[in-house]
Amino acid sequence: MIKQLFPIKHVAGYISSLVLSAVALVVLLDMPAASKMAILFVTAILQASVQLMLFMHVGESDNKKSIYINIAYALFVGLVTIFGTLFIFVWGWYS
Amino acid sequence: MKIDATQPLEYGTEENRNRIFGFWLFLGAEIALFATLFTVYIVLANRFASGPSGAEIFEITPVLLETFLLLTSSFTIGLAVHAMRLGLKKQMMMFMIITLLLGAGFLGIEIFEFFTYVHEGVTLSTSAFSSSLFTLLGTHGAHVTFGLLWGTAILIQIKKHGLDHSTANKSFIFSLYWHFLDVVWIFIFSFVYLKGLM
Repeated sequence: MIKQLFPIKHVAGYISSLVLSAVALVVLLDMPAASKMAILFVTAILQASVQLMLFMHVGESDNKKSIYINIAYALFVGLVTIFGTLFIFVWGWYS
Repeated sequence: MKIDATQPLEYGTEENRNRIFGFWLFLGAEIALFATLFTVYIVLANRFASGPSGAEIFEITPVLLETFLLLTSSFTIGLAVHAMRLGLKKQMMMFMIITLLLGAGFLGIEIFEFFTYVHEGVTLSTSAFSSSLFTLLGTHGAHVTFGLLWGTAILIQIKKHGLDHSTANKSFIFSLYWHFLDVVWIFIFSFVYLKGLM
């Protein structure tokens, strides 16, 4: 029963998300700022992928292609918003 | 109603499949919404005027606790959907109740955090930093609050009608929503709290 209720895939996904959160904590230690940001990006994106692929069953519906295109488009809009704004307001490309 | 018995209950009818697809479209819009809130926060994070900065008010312990609760609740709602597909109504409801309790725990800590911030002199109108922080965290917290009410309503329906095409579909869509909130929290955890503390 326990085995039936706790499939290994879900347990592995849960443990990996906990581990990834713990790994992200190394940015509180002393190291170059660039490596810290790189670590945060990698752990956050990996965690999001675990949720999306494993728990949200994105690959199993018959219109998964449309779902992938929709999410890719949303991410495109989001990333352009974030990095376009940083480009103008923070990194000061105009100066 | 044409029923496809080869599919899990929640995908069983065309209407069900359309609803799931429609919810993915909604999640796309939610990604855009949170992207704008993150944008505002990232740009204004260092504009704390005469108020305290993020590094001064953030504390890692409650944040870790929130992260743990939300990650675990995302796991248990996944287990709920898994149990639902096995047709185990009782176990499915158990996992869903655990999910909602963990969500309530998360919300409790977050409210306590907000209370502490205000106590330390950081309110919505203290600085550009605090406004964007509360807006980002508050929007996520409001989503969790709504999720608690929505999940409770679904639980009542499952109790009343059992697992059928309609309730299974609603539960599955709720699980998508809950996982999405977990993803948003991961980005808050990384790019608001950890970045603020490093």
